[in-house]
Amino acid sequence: MLLEARNVSKAFGDFRAVAGADIAVEQGEIVGLIGPNGAGKSTFFNCLAGDTLPTTGRILFDGVDVTRAPPEAHARAGIGRTFQVPTTFDDMSVLANVMVGAFLRRPHRNDAREHARRIVELTGLRADQPARSLGTPSRKRLEIARVLASGPRLLLLDESLAGLTPGELPEAIALVRRIHRMGVTIVIVEHIMEVIMTLTRRVLVFNQGRVIASGTPEQVVRDEAVIEAYLGRGARRPRE
Amino acid sequence: MRKLLAQPASGQRVSICLLAIALVLYPLVFSDAFYRDIGVTFLLAAISASAWNIVGGYAGQVSVGHSMFFGLGAYTPLLLYTLWGWPPLAGIPVGILLSIGLAIIIGLPTFRLSGHYFSMATIAVAELIRIFVGTWALVGGAIGLQGPALARGWWDLTFRGDLPYYYIFLAVLALVLAVTFVLEQRRFGYYLRAIKSSERAARSLGVPVRRTKLQALALSAAFAAMAGSLYGVKTGFIDPDSGFGILVSVQMVIFAALGGAGTLFGPLIGALILVPLQTAANTWFGGGGSGATFVIYGGIIVLIARFEPGGLFDLWRRLAPLLRRRAHAA
Ligand SMILES: Nc1ncnc2c1ncn2[C@@H]1O[C@H](COP(=O)(O)OP(=O)(O)O)[C@@H](O)[C@H]1O
Ligand SMILES: [Mg+2]
Repeated sequence: MLLEARNVSKAFGDFRAVAGADIAVEQGEIVGLIGPNGAGKSTFFNCLAGDTLPTTGRILFDGVDVTRAPPEAHARAGIGRTFQVPTTFDDMSVLANVMVGAFLRRPHRNDAREHARRIVELTGLRADQPARSLGTPSRKRLEIARVLASGPRLLLLDESLAGLTPGELPEAIALVRRIHRMGVTIVIVEHIMEVIMTLTRRVLVFNQGRVIASGTPEQVVRDEAVIEAYLGRGARRPRE
Repeated sequence: MRKLLAQPASGQRVSICLLAIALVLYPLVFSDAFYRDIGVTFLLAAISASAWNIVGGYAGQVSVGHSMFFGLGAYTPLLLYTLWGWPPLAGIPVGILLSIGLAIIIGLPTFRLSGHYFSMATIAVAELIRIFVGTWALVGGAIGLQGPALARGWWDLTFRGDLPYYYIFLAVLALVLAVTFVLEQRRFGYYLRAIKSSERAARSLGVPVRRTKLQALALSAAFAAMAGSLYGVKTGFIDPDSGFGILVSVQMVIFAALGGAGTLFGPLIGALILVPLQTAANTWFGGGGSGATFVIYGGIIVLIARFEPGGLFDLWRRLAPLLRRRAHAA
């Protein structure tokens, strides 16, 4: 098992955004993570990436306990992630952004630059463009390029394809496929069912901080609990 | 090895050469003591602001208390001279080491928190040191310390006239800029800019944020201490205000911010504009000049904050292509 998280919770005051969530991911999988807004998916990712300290639970990466390790240690171990709200380095060029990722395993500038160039090309961005001038979908793509350059074994994608037009989707899906074929295991949060249906063979459905269903995409969209979570009463937790 | 370093664009290389030549020739052309004094003051301001720039500009960790390193650098050689007759040249490295130690003591706790805590901690510590030094008899209290009046040898760094100081300062400025330039090109420089932009994203990519900030602060403190020690030996005298005063810290911030924080030549450009302006203000308004200085600084802060957060360097970078296009069209 590459990633194994058991009984992970994260409380903000009295409110438990993640409430006893489990996930187990095999090397080489693409796992979908879906669920209504506010279900706790991003917070769960933050726990998995060491960005927030979980209130309870244990997270093992490749058999090593990383529950309390800081995010930079997660990155070094091989857990990469993107952010739902993109956080590109706006004062830098696209290439420089990607180089920051590349430096993790290539400390010398020319090695890092060469590697970053290859990745930029792969992701279809323009190397010398200032990150500041990119729109949100391109920023998300830059985040993918940046983290990909850091050489992750596991990639957590948080709504990286959101905001794309239907016409742009196939290319983005192809990019995720290519990354997967490079040997990167992927967990992907996405609202667009087309993306989940095309990319994944196993889906976890998140609601109110825990996994309420899992299976193939076809199975979960027919699951009673899932339909209830998306449409039924109590589906939308008041946001205070 | 040469290929490892990026060569600046050719137009930029020409400007750098011209600037270097102008700085080398300046005191020979303007041999009047008044102009040489402006030159020395400018170099000192450029060194200090460039030192600040490493942590305040590139890493975006705004210190408003860099006078603590400047003051430590200025006081240490004069204190070691006063106590045991050490030559200032031997005292300078001690001051630098003490500053690095102080930088680590301040950085370790505050870099765990958000940037504002660092800024506030630097102001507070610098002020505490200034007040403390002013009451401590061993280090001269409110009166301060003096260096050697007559040189026992060149290692006393006590020269007649400004010319030797001018070239020593110029060499140190070149050193600071060269180190900054090299670091800017390397992983360290990329990490600093990433940290400035988003610590969270930087950490997610494996950047050791706290260690990198600490290294930047230590290096910045070392150069600020070097600037202070140059000031101390040149003036042959140091007191709490000229070493640890808030104005010393604020000047570094303003010079760098005006020229362009986080750019190699920004602080130098800021000093190039402000030092002559300040001297003019002092000449015109006499003793009231320092009041005018504050007014000018206040105005500059407002203008930068409101219109040009990137400083003049950024403004120029955006305007230059437009001007060139117009020149071509004409
Ligand atoms: N830092 C925080 N402080 C307080 N509440 C938070 C914080 N982060 C997220 N939440 C709350 O946790 C819940 C889950 O949010 P999130 O993980 O972003 O859900 P999702 O990604 O599934 O849409 C939401 O109700 C959100 O308001
Ligand atoms: Mg989310």
